[in-house]
Amino acid sequence: MSDIAGTKPALRWVVHLSVIFLVVLWVVPTLGLFISSFRTADQIATSGWWKSLFPSEQNLTLRSAAAENQVLEDGMYVIEGNLFDASQKATISKWGVSSRAVDAFEPGQTAELRRGGTITVDASGNYRMENAEEFTGARGARVFVTAELPPEFTLDNYHKVLLAEDSTDSMTRAFFNTLTVTVPATIIPILVAAFAAYALAWMEFPGRALLIAAVVGLLVVPLQLALIPLLKFHLGIGIGKGYLGVWMAHTGFGMPLAIYLLRNYMAGLPRDLIENARVDGATEFQIFTKLILPLSFPALASFAILQFLWTWNDLLVAKVFLIDASGQTTVMTNSIVELLGTRGGNWEILATAAFVSIVVPLIVFFAMQKYLVRGLLAGSVK
Amino acid sequence: MHPAFQGLLTIAIGVSGCVGYFYLSNQFLDKVLFPPRGPNAGRNINRANIIRPWLFLFPAVAALGLYLAYPVIETMRLSLTDRVPGGGYEWVGLENYKQMVAEPKFWEAMRNNMLWLIVVPALSTFFGLLVAQLTDRIRWGNVAKAMIFMPMAISFVGASVIWKLVYDTRPVEQDQIGILNALYMFFGGTEPQTWLTIPFWNSFFLMVVLIWIQTGFAMVILSAALRGIPEETVEAAILDGANPFQIFFKIKVPQIKTTILVVWTTITILVLKVFDIVFAMTNGQWETQVLANYMYDKLFRANDWGVGSASAMVIMLLVTPILVWNVRNARNEMK
Amino acid sequence: MKHSLYAGAAMFALMAGTAQAEKVTVFGPWLGPDQENVQKVLDGFAAATGHEYAYVGSDSFEQQIRIDAEAGSAANVSVFPQPGLAADMAKSGFLTPLNDGTADWIRDNYAAGQSWVDLGTYSGPDGQDNLYGFFYKVDVKSLVWYVPENFEDAGYEVPTTMEELKALTEQIVADGETPWCIGLGSGGATGWPATDWVEDMMLRTQSPEDYDAWVSNEMKFNDPKVIAAIEEFGAFALNDDFVAGGAGAVATTDFRDSPKGMFSSPPQCYMHRQASFIPAFFPDGTVVGEDADFFYFPAYESKDLGSPVLGAGTLWAITNDSPAAHDLIAYLQTPEAHEIWMALTGFLTPHKGVDTSVFSDPTLKKMNEILLGATTFRFDGSDLMPGGVGAGTFWTGMVDYTGGKPAQEVADEIQSSWDALD
Repeated sequence: MSDIAGTKPALRWVVHLSVIFLVVLWVVPTLGLFISSFRTADQIATSGWWKSLFPSEQNLTLRSAAAENQVLEDGMYVIEGNLFDASQKATISKWGVSSRAVDAFEPGQTAELRRGGTITVDASGNYRMENAEEFTGARGARVFVTAELPPEFTLDNYHKVLLAEDSTDSMTRAFFNTLTVTVPATIIPILVAAFAAYALAWMEFPGRALLIAAVVGLLVVPLQLALIPLLKFHLGIGIGKGYLGVWMAHTGFGMPLAIYLLRNYMAGLPRDLIENARVDGATEFQIFTKLILPLSFPALASFAILQFLWTWNDLLVAKVFLIDASGQTTVMTNSIVELLGTRGGNWEILATAAFVSIVVPLIVFFAMQKYLVRGLLAGSVK
Repeated sequence: MHPAFQGLLTIAIGVSGCVGYFYLSNQFLDKVLFPPRGPNAGRNINRANIIRPWLFLFPAVAALGLYLAYPVIETMRLSLTDRVPGGGYEWVGLENYKQMVAEPKFWEAMRNNMLWLIVVPALSTFFGLLVAQLTDRIRWGNVAKAMIFMPMAISFVGASVIWKLVYDTRPVEQDQIGILNALYMFFGGTEPQTWLTIPFWNSFFLMVVLIWIQTGFAMVILSAALRGIPEETVEAAILDGANPFQIFFKIKVPQIKTTILVVWTTITILVLKVFDIVFAMTNGQWETQVLANYMYDKLFRANDWGVGSASAMVIMLLVTPILVWNVRNARNEMK
Repeated sequence: MKHSLYAGAAMFALMAGTAQAEKVTVFGPWLGPDQENVQKVLDGFAAATGHEYAYVGSDSFEQQIRIDAEAGSAANVSVFPQPGLAADMAKSGFLTPLNDGTADWIRDNYAAGQSWVDLGTYSGPDGQDNLYGFFYKVDVKSLVWYVPENFEDAGYEVPTTMEELKALTEQIVADGETPWCIGLGSGGATGWPATDWVEDMMLRTQSPEDYDAWVSNEMKFNDPKVIAAIEEFGAFALNDDFVAGGAGAVATTDFRDSPKGMFSSPPQCYMHRQASFIPAFFPDGTVVGEDADFFYFPAYESKDLGSPVLGAGTLWAITNDSPAAHDLIAYLQTPEAHEIWMALTGFLTPHKGVDTSVFSDPTLKKMNEILLGATTFRFDGSDLMPGGVGAGTFWTGMVDYTGGKPAQEVADEIQSSWDALD
């Protein structure tokens, strides 16, 4: 077997390069978020994520120590120290004491302070303030510096999402709750839909085409419409809000796509195979379980991935059918939204949360991909 | 009881319940109701064959009917009524539809939806097919596929955040934090663009997000289909001296035509329903409204169920051509 | 005296409630830290009455309360951020009127009590007016934030009249700097910060009666008075010299990122008009009162309209009747219920009987003084308008306006969308 990359080396290079190009195109947006998840909110809001990998020149507003740290030296009140945290290493190129002139001075020069006294700042951030009178006020003087800063990353965001005291419990619980929602909500629709898809693909009965059309038609029903009538129904028959309700809802909402995908795949299986089995006296039930199910594995796996992702990332259905006032039935997406707070503007938390919640779907995809291939090899009798 | 056990128990009960239902009902049909033995064997087989499809279909049809068909009928009813304050409904005929078509926002949504319907499925399928074919035989193909599939695993909320960061705009004197503007400025742009507010083109910037997500889906399905192509057909073409492009377009694509159409249809349907992206990124402002978001607006913001339901009916109407095509396809297959 | 009498009555009601401990479910818009705060208040309720409670918060409150109410699964008590939504729900029959006497209590104990009663009174499904909502936790919106040290560096004074504020704006431009940071971006709700501007301008150019008429649409949205107010906002927001990034950046700058411009080095702007919640979005480590402070968004000295204050608040209503739900509303009338949250963060109250010394920081106290010192208090108009306007076309219209559409055209469109609702 051969393909485009066939025999010509030049073409092979073109293939490799185009794949690299496409992958880069697809990965860059996510990469941006990934890097952002290791930065503080202020960093995200002030400089591009790609710059965070290199040393960068930044304008910072720093503050000297407060007046209470002053000492009396030879009749002068003096405050000394370093503007940066002990962990920070930076080189100052310009500095200033007024927001109107942030780069008025070179390192080593001395500036007059507005409230009296002078300040000298050197390139590494050491400063010395002198005043003939006592320094007053609860806070130190503002110093504006232009400095070269090394790249800086933080794990605080992950710490906050995963390990912070109040969220660990809820995240762990949310994780198991989400699994509790997604696994049955993935397996049950597949099983139910597979039988129906087989009937629609390989059994003759009146109204078959109409039923297929109906399934396709139902694919487009906007979910939002179904919420109120169905919640009413669940409350009416006594299920209320809970796992049973959310499983049923996901089963119902996932059904059209499941039937549609599986039927299309099954209809493409070789006719001889099924006819031969029928001639050999196999019952339809046997044909389905022994022949169709194994052969349809790739389609089952494809749908399983889709349904799993959909239920894993779902918030709306969970909110309507599952999450009640007890606070016990939260899911991952919901606890992430909770972490964001009432006005939800914390990009750094969002970025981190997006990566926390992406891990499981990616594992599932990698695992299923192996099965996909295996299923395909089994199905290559076609 | 711990929910995890409950979950396991449900999986066990659900799965064994389904299998049990299918197995026992078939047994019942074959062994008790219409046994293919005795004097009426022939007639019984026929009868059993008439009933059996419905045994297979029953659970699925019940779920479909309850969870989707019933809300549709309810919606149709609501689209023809208005709610009376204090409860109850009054019949208003086509009044809601008239009100809807009089709104410029509705037509804006229709226009944008048409654009979405053409662009997103086409480009997603195109890129999906391209990636599927290109990665088929290279050694790191699976890694590449995983990278391109990754957006599928990100929730819509996450995706909106990612792309907001891409499209972000800062005043010209500041550092750009959006990579698109940074590139634009790097390549000689004078003024950073607010991408999401440029009428007409901003719709395309939103479409990019969905294409970015859906290409992974198209790729997975199409790659499975490409691998299912019998090797002999390709080998024969090579022997005939066909070049790789001819092989791809003349031999491979025709053989996976059905799968391509399935992918195309699925994405089309998704496009009609998807509103999260528009909702989270522009909420239909700056002329980016789409029908699904328009409906959401009417249902949950304006509390106008009549018009909201009417626009839902329009979404369903729009899919009719696909529906007709599918029915015809189904008929052809049966022949 | 009367106050303590009522408090006593409330306590009595609470005592009576302990006879049967029930579980009260509460549904509100608060998540994250706010959720912890409200739970502390509800802990106080549980301790005082013996009832249990369960609180759930949602970021899509308005949508979910509709779904739950329609389906019949609403919580006992729901906390509405928007009175307009509560009015809709009352009309549909989803709210239970509060106990008799609650209205009298509010009149006696809240500053500008009658206006709080009016804001919580809606017509029910039968057309009867009843008090459905109890206001607890309010926000002041008429605030301008600034960095005091930047003002000192440049030698600016805090303006006390609108004339001075405009002069200061011109002054900053003359000094070669940019006075304002304005950002309307808010995802699906983009545009709402501009509605606050317009409302504040409305209160500073027209009488409170005109404001009320505008909010109830007795005065049309395209009335010249309203258009003048929109243009007052435009005088700040549409002037490229006045706003950081120029007028074009107003609509797309996220409201959460917008105040950060005041803190950058060198500052990109000097002032930011926003409600009392905004310090949550200041850079990490900003100390309100020292690194940043606020002043009252002043009124025109020449117009003689007093000192109007624009605010908002959350309204507690009973969405699923139970005796314990009424006990909760009664508990909210005790000073204790207010003082618990006052000692935390981000809480203001019009309750005159609370001990203001328990405020966790002087900033809140200062805000509460603005609230109590208001000659006119008006609620955020967009929250009172029907959802389709106040949370729809008003938002989008303001985005169009900052995009360059004439105020007249924008106002005409908003009015026609309002007409379409009836």
